[in-house]
Amino acid sequence: MAEWYTREGKDNDVVLSTKACIVRNIKGYNFLPRLDDKECQSLIETIDGAIDKDIFMGGSAATMEKETAMRLIRLQVLGREGSQMANPQRKAFYYNDDCSESIAIGCGEHITVRAMAQGHDISVYKQAEKLAMDLESKLDIAFSDSYGFLTSNVRLAGTGLKILYTVALPAIAKTEGGIAALTQRVGQYEWTIYPFAERGELADSNVYIISSVNTLGVTEEEVLRRGEMLITDVIKAERACREEIATSKKEQIKDMYGRAYGNLRYCNLISRSEAIEAMGWLRLFHDYDDGGEINCSWNTLDKLTMDILWEPGAPSKRSGASFTNSQRIRANGIRTILKGAE
Amino acid sequence: MRCERCGKELTNRIIKINGVTYCDNCARLMGYDRYLREPSDILGNPFSPLDQIASSLMQMSELDFGNSTLTCPKCGMTLREFENEGRVGCIECYNTFNDNIVREMFKQQGNSEYAGRLPNQSAETNTTSKEVEKVSRKELESGPAKEVEVKASEPAKTETQEPEKQPEKKPEKGGLTIDQLKKADLGMLSDEDLEKGIKLAAEVEEYILASRLRDELKGRKEGENNG
Repeated sequence: MAEWYTREGKDNDVVLSTKACIVRNIKGYNFLPRLDDKECQSLIETIDGAIDKDIFMGGSAATMEKETAMRLIRLQVLGREGSQMANPQRKAFYYNDDCSESIAIGCGEHITVRAMAQGHDISVYKQAEKLAMDLESKLDIAFSDSYGFLTSNVRLAGTGLKILYTVALPAIAKTEGGIAALTQRVGQYEWTIYPFAERGELADSNVYIISSVNTLGVTEEEVLRRGEMLITDVIKAERACREEIATSKKEQIKDMYGRAYGNLRYCNLISRSEAIEAMGWLRLFHDYDDGGEINCSWNTLDKLTMDILWEPGAPSKRSGASFTNSQRIRANGIRTILKGAE
Repeated sequence: MRCERCGKELTNRIIKINGVTYCDNCARLMGYDRYLREPSDILGNPFSPLDQIASSLMQMSELDFGNSTLTCPKCGMTLREFENEGRVGCIECYNTFNDNIVREMFKQQGNSEYAGRLPNQSAETNTTSKEVEKVSRKELESGPAKEVEVKASEPAKTETQEPEKQPEKKPEKGGLTIDQLKKADLGMLSDEDLEKGIKLAAEVEEYILASRLRDELKGRKEGENNG
């Protein structure tokens, strides 16, 4: 089955993905910070028994092969730095065929249910809710009338729900004061926005995550409604900024667009930051290119962007792995995909 | 947006450090002075690192580490551990540290009352994303957005170019002021006044008042359900 992020999503010129995460804990067990290894094993067995094995594969992180872990990082089931693989004997991961739905045990809370879709697609909430309800019907979930679903992290108590939109905003980022203004606007909806990476190679990626904040005082419906209003605002603003930049500085942007494509299409070595920067220029001028020489769909561009952002095993100075080798592999992968698109 | 440490509404400057949003004051208290300074401040003062250490030491007295003797009888977590980590150890902690947890919830979210779905019950939600129509900039500027319905109280939808000024925290039309709420006999207030009061109290960080109003409203609702 095709992996979830290779499908064509709505508004995928701006929104790379939509994700819904729901956390739950089980009565009778302490929360993770106060759960010893033996109890943790018992917790994993209890939850494992409630997971529908006709849909989900996977299991204990301790027995997961490295290749599987790499694939799960690339498909965003595991965090991009693989930090979730620390203490693997206390964790388990389950995922469906295309990895659009997953259940993690032992990552912050007892259970983290996640549903993901390419582009702008809030139906991920229903997918996550369905999975959560299935577990709620089979397990004794920690719930209080006053505080809702109880969690170790009190910031998540209540609905235990987070909606996240990953967005590429090269034009707003290039507009003076654009991100500051957007941050204000996001705050007015009581949501938050933060860069995909605050430091390192991807710090200037122009990719941001827009996330819900409130889990108390609001219904799930209200969270989704505000999120849809907000993301509509963001999409319109980014498109307006692209139009402004592409029309006011057409010659310069067209030049950058062509150069960026040339670099990606024919380079032999490329760093993650250079690749992401080039993709930003492609994104910026994509809809205004009337030359027709460059053939790269939004879907291809999104896939490439996510491949770079969630590239597993990217070497760091600490790891001492070869930068040249990883840059060659990356460049080769990009060339192959762009050649295929032509 | 609120400061994630003290819960104060952010109006002037947003300081984000390691993914956590702080107000000026909290950033200073946490020792992140360098994020508050302009480059010229540092260049102009050759002893700035010494100043920074001295001011941090002076401000140590303002830090509140809470009552460390309060301990959860079930999991053994102390209040200090909760305050440091922001995590509780078990369900019983919610009873043991109730006041501190409610305060934390108000700081983070301006609310501590659950409004979501019950376990094993579906939320009534519309989960169809409408594709945002591609319109030209001129069209966008000339007309209101067609796709999304906006409530009067919600922020209007325009471009993000110009940040709007946050409205001042005043009681909603017809609502009571904080002083009036503090002095009022809560039993005499309408449900609507209580709801408005909770919002207002949370906005001005009167968390104890907000809790009292919330408990009054909750008591009424439970009374209605039982009776």
